[in-house]
Amino acid sequence: MTERHDRDGEVRSAVYRHLVETSAAPSVSDIERHLGMTRPEILAAYQRLFARRVLVVGADGETIVMAPPFSGVPTQHRVAVGNREYFANCAWDALGIPAALHAPAIVRSRCEQSGEPLTILVDRDGPAPEPCVAHFAVPAALWWRDIGFT
Amino acid sequence: MLFFRSEERVAEWCRANRVPQRPLVALSQLWRLSQAWYANRLTPEARRPAPAEMAGIFRGIGLEGSFWDPNADDFS
Repeated sequence: MTERHDRDGEVRSAVYRHLVETSAAPSVSDIERHLGMTRPEILAAYQRLFARRVLVVGADGETIVMAPPFSGVPTQHRVAVGNREYFANCAWDALGIPAALHAPAIVRSRCEQSGEPLTILVDRDGPAPEPCVAHFAVPAALWWRDIGFT
Repeated sequence: MLFFRSEERVAEWCRANRVPQRPLVALSQLWRLSQAWYANRLTPEARRPAPAEMAGIFRGIGLEGSFWDPNADDFS
C-alpha cells in the first residue's frame, strides 16, 4: 500500500471519527488539527476518496456531504443513538447508522407521500415491526450518477 | 431511497412525481442490506462492496433482477 493511500485512509477515519463523536461533519480545519496535514493535502485526499465513492464532497470541494451512512448535512432521516442524533442520507442509511455503530437506535423519518411521521425502533437484532416500506427510485447501476437521488 | 407508510402511498408518490414504480424493499430486507453494507464501515479496513459483491448481497436478501444489477443497462 502506498503512503498516499495510507494518508487517505487516515483522512477517511478522521472524518468518520469526528462524525460519530460529534454528530457533525468535520471542517477541513478539524482534520488539519487531528492529523497535522495541510489543507491542500486534505482537499486532495477528499477528491480521491470521492472518486473511490468513499465520501461525497460538496461543490466547494471541502464540505463533507456524505460519509455513508452518515449525512454531513441535515436531512429528513434522524437517527438517535444514545444521547446523540445523526442525520442519514436515505432510508437505507437510516438503518445503516445503527448497523455501523452496533447500537440500538430510534429512527425518525416520514412517509414521503403523506408526510406522516414514521418512528422505527431498532435494537441489536434489527427494527421492530413497523408498517412501512422503502422505495428505491433508481436502479443500482445508476446510483452514482446522482447519489443524492436514489 | 425513501420511506413510505404503504405500497399505496408509494404508488401515489410515483404517479405524482411521474417516476416509474420500482421494487419495494421491506423493513426486514432493509436491515439485512444495512448490515451487509455498513456493519464494518467504521473499521480501518472498511471498503464499499465491489459490483460482484453488491450483486451477491442483493441476491442473498431476495433482491433480484436487472434493477439490482450494478452492471446492468437494462432496467425493464
